[in-house]
Formats: sequence, C-alpha cells, structure tokens
Amino acid sequence: MRDLGVRLGGRVVFQGLSFEWGAPGSIAVTGPNGSGKTTLLKVLAGLLRPGRGTVEWRDGGRVLAPADARSRLGFVSPELALYEDLSALENLAFFARARGLAWSESEGRAWLARLGLGDRGSDRLGGFSSGMKQRVKLAFALQARPTLVLLDEPGSNLDEAGRAVLRQLVVEAARDALVVVATNDPEEAAWTGSTLALAA
Amino acid sequence: MDRFHARARGMSTARAAWAVFAKDVTVELRARYALAATAVFALATLAIVSYAVGPFGGRPELLAAFLWTVLLFSASAGLAQTFVREVERKTWLTLRLVAPPAAVLLGKWGVNLALLVATEVLVVPVFLALFGVSPRSLPAFLAVLALATIGLSAAITLVAALLAQARAHGALVSALAFPLVVPIVMAAVAGTRRALAEPGVAPTELTVLAAAAGVVIAAGVMLGEHALED
Repeated sequence: MRDLGVRLGGRVVFQGLSFEWGAPGSIAVTGPNGSGKTTLLKVLAGLLRPGRGTVEWRDGGRVLAPADARSRLGFVSPELALYEDLSALENLAFFARARGLAWSESEGRAWLARLGLGDRGSDRLGGFSSGMKQRVKLAFALQARPTLVLLDEPGSNLDEAGRAVLRQLVVEAARDALVVVATNDPEEAAWTGSTLALAA
Repeated sequence: MDRFHARARGMSTARAAWAVFAKDVTVELRARYALAATAVFALATLAIVSYAVGPFGGRPELLAAFLWTVLLFSASAGLAQTFVREVERKTWLTLRLVAPPAAVLLGKWGVNLALLVATEVLVVPVFLALFGVSPRSLPAFLAVLALATIGLSAAITLVAALLAQARAHGALVSALAFPLVVPIVMAAVAGTRRALAEPGVAPTELTVLAAAAGVVIAAGVMLGEHALED
C-alpha cells in the first residue's frame, strides 16, 4: 500500500497510509470507531476505490490484477451479508461456484461442522441467529483456502465456543495466508503477530 | 492475454454467470419478489382496462400499443428488483466480491429475461382472451415478442446495474432506461400491430428489434466491468 487515502462524505477517513505486508502472517488493525478500519479492509478487498494511493498485491514478483487478487481473498465483515432465502450449504455452494471453485457438499458440511453448525446445513439462513450467521460467514471466507484473509470484527455476535473456534481458525490460516483482523477487541488483536493502529 | 487464458476466463465467467442465474431463480421461486411486481401489475392493468374500455374497437394499433405499454411498465417495475434486493439486503458487496462483473451482469440478465418471459406467458394469453383478438400471423407475433423481450430485458438490466447503489433507484431506472427502450418498444408495437392485422412476417420491425437488442447487449459487454465497480 502506498500513500493510501480515503475520503467519504467529505470527511477524510485516513490518509498517507503506506506499508508492505507479507504472507504468511497476521496483523491486527485497531483504532477507535470511525478511524477507518472497515474502510481500509474494503479498500484492500477491492470493494472501495481509494481517493489517492495504490494497493498492489504481488505473488512472487508478479503484480496481480484486481480480479486475480480478489479470487484469492476471504472476507468477513458486518457489511457483507449472505442470502437469507438460501440454506447455509446453498450459500457456500453458490459462493464457491461463483468463484469458479470445485465444491462438494461433504466439504461444505465439514466446514459447518467445524463451526458448530453441522446439523443446520439445510436450514435457511433467515432462521439463523446473528452468531450463527457469523459462523457461516467464516465458512464462506475460509472455504476457498484464500491467501489473503480479511476479518472485520470477526468475533462479533459469537459466543465463547465460537470465539475459541475463531481463534483457532485465525492461527491456522496465518500459517499459509496473510490474515488481517480489524478489531476493537484487545483479545482478538492478541491473536495476531503485529498491530497497525489507526488514529481517529 | 493469450487465447488460452482468454478462453479459460470466458468459461469461468460463463460458469459464474450460471451460478448467479441459478441462485436468483432459487431465491425468486422461494420469495417471488420480482415476479409478483411484474405479473400482478400487468394482470391488474389488463383487467381494469378491458373492463373499463373494452376491446379498443378491434383496432390493432391500439391493442399493440396497449400490450407493450403494459409489458414495458411491468418490466420497469419488476426487473430492477433483482439488483435492488441485493443492495437492500447487503448481499451486493458479497456478490461483487465473489463473481466477476461480467458474470453478475450476464446472470442477472438471464434472470430478468426469464422473469419477463414468465410474465408474458401469463399476460399475453390473458390479453388475447380479454380483448378477443387473435394474431393473423402467429410466427411474426411470437418473433416480435421474443426479440423485444430480449432487448427490453437487456436494456433494463444494464441500466439497473449502473444504478444499483443509487438512491431513488426505481424512478431513476425507468427514466434512464427510456432512451434505450423507446426504439425497442416502438418497433415492438409496429411489429405486433402488423402481426395482429396482416399475415406474413414483419422484416423491418424484426430487423430493428434484432439490431436494438444487439446494440444493448454489446453495450453491456463493453460496460459490464465498469458498471458494477464503484
């Protein structure tokens, strides 16, 4: 990232951000409300164009095109929703197929089982609690085995058991991928190897 | 990009488009958001006008104009819902994250085409029955219907995609789609009038409809990537 800056609604969210991150590893992005944590992750995910600066993803020495970078990305955010008229398994199947990935129901069920939803795969998401939906979002983000994992407030709405699974997933993912966790929770920040603190 | 990679990307876009189409069809069959908007509007309008006005004195130009007015406004009301629903339910960003823009546009066009066809399967027989009319040339009538449906659904899909995140989305889609849909609807009205009144095909109107549909589809292909980006 070089000299990254974003202005939303006339307000400067952040500016002058420059750094280089390498995979594998994990980083916490912390800061008060309104400091731009979610905005930064959306820029990294290619869902928001920065007002200034550039974001470059490299594989070895090769700069990846935005579409290629996005295909290697897993993203969990309160701003992303899944399809409530589809079941948990149908959601995972759709997202895998839309990305051009091979998908099997057994693998989908395995992910849901790992996240404590093993017997709810055929139930529509509309009937899930917010914590259950968050677990399905984690499955959605990680099932493609991404090389970049962006987690925005990943522990929100999760109970203790869910947070324990989340911690395990973050640690495991960071062995092969770059994991960026945007959080206000010091415990979540402690799961990572380093911290980027944004000011308001 | 070499030919191999271009073909691989094309196949991957086609598969992703199919996934988007299949997902939307599943959601629509369960919730019927857009089908309700299009079909109910059209059937209600047909019933009210046929009761209030009668069969327009059997005049094919009035019947054709009325049919396409109903279909146009039904399409404008319902087809944009496939995008509006994504934004309102916060799945728009998720969809953009996983599927290439061209796949989203193609998939959504497929859904809108299916929706308009489903509406016409309900509405057109009711129209013909209520107004006591039968096409003199059924092949021409169906050809005009098919080509105009392709063009109309493509035009509204493209504009709805461009305006997906705008406020007052519904009103803007109708207004901004106007320049694209007017040539299509005018040719459809002329072709339908001829099919109701005369035997044989209507080559001029069919040519115009095919050209209009081609232009809109080409515009969608060229603008697809940019239409769905911020």
